Order: sequence, then C-alpha cells, then structure tokens
Amino acid sequence: MTEKAEDRKPLLSKKIDKFFTGLADAWNFVRRFFKEVFVPPYEFKEVIHQCYRIGVESLPLIALTGFIVGIVFTNQSRPSLANFGATSWLPSLISIAVVRAMGPLVTALIAAGKVGSSIGAEIGSMKVTEQIDAMEVSATNPFKFLVVTRVLATTFMIPVLVMFTDFVALMGSFLSVSANENVSIITFFVEVFGAISFLDIISSVLKALLFGFTIGIVGCYKGYNSSKGTEGVGRAANAAVVMAMFLIFIEELLVLQIVNAIRAF
Amino acid sequence: MRGENKRSVMVGIFVFIGIAILVAGVLTLGGQQKKFVKAIQLKAVFDDIGGLQTGNNIWFSGVKIGTVRKINFYGDSQVEIEMNVEEEVVEFIRKDSKATISSDGLIGNKIIVIYGGTTLAPPVVDGDRLESVMPLDTDKMMETLQVNNENLVEITGNLKNLTSKLAEGEGMVGAALTDSLLAESFRAIVKNLNQASVNSNRMINELNSFTSKLNQKGNLFNDLVTDTTMAADLRQSMESLKEAAANSEEMTQKLSTITDKFNDPNNSVGMLLNDPEFAKSLKSTLENADSATYNLNRGMDALEYTWPFNKGFKRKKKEEAKENN
Repeated sequence: MTEKAEDRKPLLSKKIDKFFTGLADAWNFVRRFFKEVFVPPYEFKEVIHQCYRIGVESLPLIALTGFIVGIVFTNQSRPSLANFGATSWLPSLISIAVVRAMGPLVTALIAAGKVGSSIGAEIGSMKVTEQIDAMEVSATNPFKFLVVTRVLATTFMIPVLVMFTDFVALMGSFLSVSANENVSIITFFVEVFGAISFLDIISSVLKALLFGFTIGIVGCYKGYNSSKGTEGVGRAANAAVVMAMFLIFIEELLVLQIVNAIRAF
Repeated sequence: MRGENKRSVMVGIFVFIGIAILVAGVLTLGGQQKKFVKAIQLKAVFDDIGGLQTGNNIWFSGVKIGTVRKINFYGDSQVEIEMNVEEEVVEFIRKDSKATISSDGLIGNKIIVIYGGTTLAPPVVDGDRLESVMPLDTDKMMETLQVNNENLVEITGNLKNLTSKLAEGEGMVGAALTDSLLAESFRAIVKNLNQASVNSNRMINELNSFTSKLNQKGNLFNDLVTDTTMAADLRQSMESLKEAAANSEEMTQKLSTITDKFNDPNNSVGMLLNDPEFAKSLKSTLENADSATYNLNRGMDALEYTWPFNKGFKRKKKEEAKENN
C-alpha cells in the first residue's frame, strides 16, 4: 500500500504530499488509540508498570526542576516588583505564573525530554528489531500493549506530576520570599490562593492531561513508525521530543486563548 | 510478581499524594474565596464601575465578606452589580448601608466596599439593593486640578502686581514699608499695645486670683452662690427685714405723731416740756414738797418717842432684831 503510494505521481509536491500523508497517518494513529482504549482486553498491569516508569521515576527530576524554577522565578521577579515597592505581590505573581503556566509547561517539557524520548526509542527499537511483528504473530495486540498503555500512563501521570511541581515550586518560592521578605507560610499561601481561581486549577489540570496525551501519543507514533534500523531509533527518539515540545507550546497557546475567553465570559 | 506489587503500591502512593495536593488546593481556594459558605445576594447600581470584574472582592469594615457574582447593564447606561455576601455577616449589614467602588491598594484590583448603616435599620435580606455612592473619578479630579491651576496663575499675577506696588511704596501698606516716620509711629503703637497687653494680662491675673478666692469653699460669696439652704435663709431674712422696715416705718410715723403731741403745749406732756411757767411752778411745787417731806420726817421722829405711838415702834424693832438673828 505504502509502496504503491510512493510510486504514484505527487499531488502537489513530494514534500507537501509527505507532510499531509504524515498528518493523515497521525490522525489514524490517534483514532486507532481511541478505538483500542475502550475495547477489552485491558492491560492494567502494563499501565501500572508504565505509570511507575513515567510518574514515580520522573518525580525526582521534575520535583527538583520545579523547586529550582520556583526559587529562580521569585528571585528574578523581585527586582522588578521592588522598583514599585510591591515585593509583597511576589506570592501572587508566582502563584499565577506557576499554577497557570509554569507548572504544566515545565512538567510537560521535562517529561517530553525524559519520557517522550524514552517511549520513542523503546518502541522504535522494538519496531526495527521486529519485536512488534513478533507480538502480532504471537496473537498479542502490540498497539494495545505498547501504545495504549503508555499513552494512558502519560495522560494520567503528567497531571499528578504537575500537582507535585506546583507544590514544590511554590515551596521553593516560599523559601526565597521567606528569606528576603520575612513572610510566614500562612500569609504566603493566603496570598497564593488569593490570586488564583478555580478556573486556573481546572485549566491547569486539563492542560496537563492534554500535554500528557501529546507526549505519549507523539512518542508512540514516532517509535511505531520508525524505520532504517538503529539510526531510525535515534531519529524517532529525537523527533518524539521535538514534536512533543512543539505541540505542547501550540497547545499552551490555544488553551490560553480558550481559558481567557472563558474568563472574560 | 513481588516487584509488580511494589510498583503498584508506589504508583498508588504517588497518585494519592498528587490528588491530595489537588484536593487540598481546591479546598483552600474554596475556603478562601468563600465558595463553600452560605451566601445571600445583594445588589447595587452604579453609573460607572471603573473596570470592576466578576469575582472581585466585597469588603465590609476591612474584612472580605464575599465576591462580585454578576455584572449586568441596567436602565439606560447604568450597571447593576450582583454580590454574593456571606450569610453569617448579614446581621451586621443594615438596609441603610452604602456600597462604593474602591481599590485594593494603590494599584490593586477593584473592590466593592460596603460601609455605613445604622442600628435603626434592620439587617439586609436576600435580594436587597444597597444605595450606591460613586467613587472619586480621576478624570474629574484632574478637571478640578486644572481649574485650581488656572486660579493659581491668576493669584500669582495679582500677587506680582501687589508686591510691585508695595515695593514702590504705593498705598497704606506700601507707605508703612517705605516711610520711616510711619514706621516709628507704628512702632510706638505696637509698644503701647504691648504695654496695654501687659496691663490687661496683670488685670486678668488679679481677676483670676479674685475669682479663685471667690470660688474657695467656706467663702461667703461662694456659699451665697453654691449653698442653696443659705440662699433660702437669706431670702427669709430679707423678707423679715422688709417686714421690720415696714414696722419701723409705722413706728416712726407713730413716734412723729407723739413728738408732735410733745411739742404741742396744750396737752399735759407738751405743757410739761414746752411751758416755762409751768416748769417754774412745778419746780416751786417740788421744792415745797421737799420741804414738807423734811418736816414730815421730823414729825415722824418725834412721834416715835411719843405715847402711845412709842409702843408700836418698839414692837417693830424687836421683830426686826429677831429676823436678823
């Protein structure tokens, strides 16, 4: 089928045709995921295993990153606010920044780097070593076992990781604010929650779900469609990270517009 | 198998902690934004809400008591604000309370401030509309400031003219500033005034001293002013004095009548006092009486030794001697 398509004369140009073909393949891949996810048998054990790898094993890296982001962002924002004599607004500023954007974004980007590349490389190597074909032969649905489990794990673990990142980033920010402005933890968190709304928390969780799904589906897609031997594995891992990060930023922009529209309404 | 179980437990703990953070955040946010407390709705209508948004805070006596629920256009161009206000503070907000739009800090979010209200009015109930007071408008403040600036320019112009006239010695004040004789006279006036003030000060001190003495307890004047019983006694004394004066007047009239009669020689006393011949005659009579008394004494002495009267005298002497013993 693919060979026949390659032999065909390009519709617009070879590159443009390849781009749209890729889009169609990705769309079909996503459609297949939603088709497979609700159909038994369910691979619960594998989902738990992937949750452990994606969630628990990523926690130290993501928590440390979130903590550093909290401290750095606070310290970088302080001089600007100090010019207005408004350093008391630091908790509000950090709260809005972390909960609305930084928490989901930083978590997703770190996860895309760590988890997305891992998924891409893992499934890619399985593809080039024909392990996926072997699974098909042994009456195991490789898509369900490899793709659905990983995408589900990323989709549900990224929001949990975002909660940890938000908390740790706010604690990092509190350390900085406490050291410089002598603010108690109660005052700090009163200011933090005074600046955000339920919409911010809901949008943060929804974004995290979307980012998690994107990381999982892009990693799996790139790995599942890798070719050209071990070189293809590297390419799949790299493409999984780059594409996932790009899509995360695009999604961030779109979600921001939608949330702002809801907020204005 | 054991490894899988361990992974499952770790994932469970991980998810549990993540969800706990989310729930804690939601509960804290809800508690802070009073989402989980019973609330009533109050309304207020403003001409201009100055950028107030849904979710902005409602303050009463500096305490956050709710949030802005809804913003609707009302009437021609007014805006109606619907507010969610905590039910537990409703008893402190009276129907005659007012609502105005203020700011949370100099550059903070807009807030609605509920203030005023008297205990004469009953507490608000769900759906009540509060009287709104328009906040200070920055544009109007600037307009007023511009008018002030124009006035200031005019004032400084007038001041300039005035000072130039003063410098040239025009007018009374100008002359006072430039004429040395006038200045001397003025100095003398001031000196006199100073002396007068010293005197008046001394007088005031003396008056003070006098009044403080008067105010001392036990002082007659103080008692007169403050002691009510004494005042009553005094009033009674005055009435008695008045009565005595009336009696003395009557007595004087009678005395006058008597003295008139004394001066009249036609009555016995008047004749006694005023008639010299009667006086002579009286004197002669008295001399004769004196002489007759003398002769009578002598006759009595002779009678003591004459019988039969001598016995009676002797008996009397004996009785007198007995009484003396």
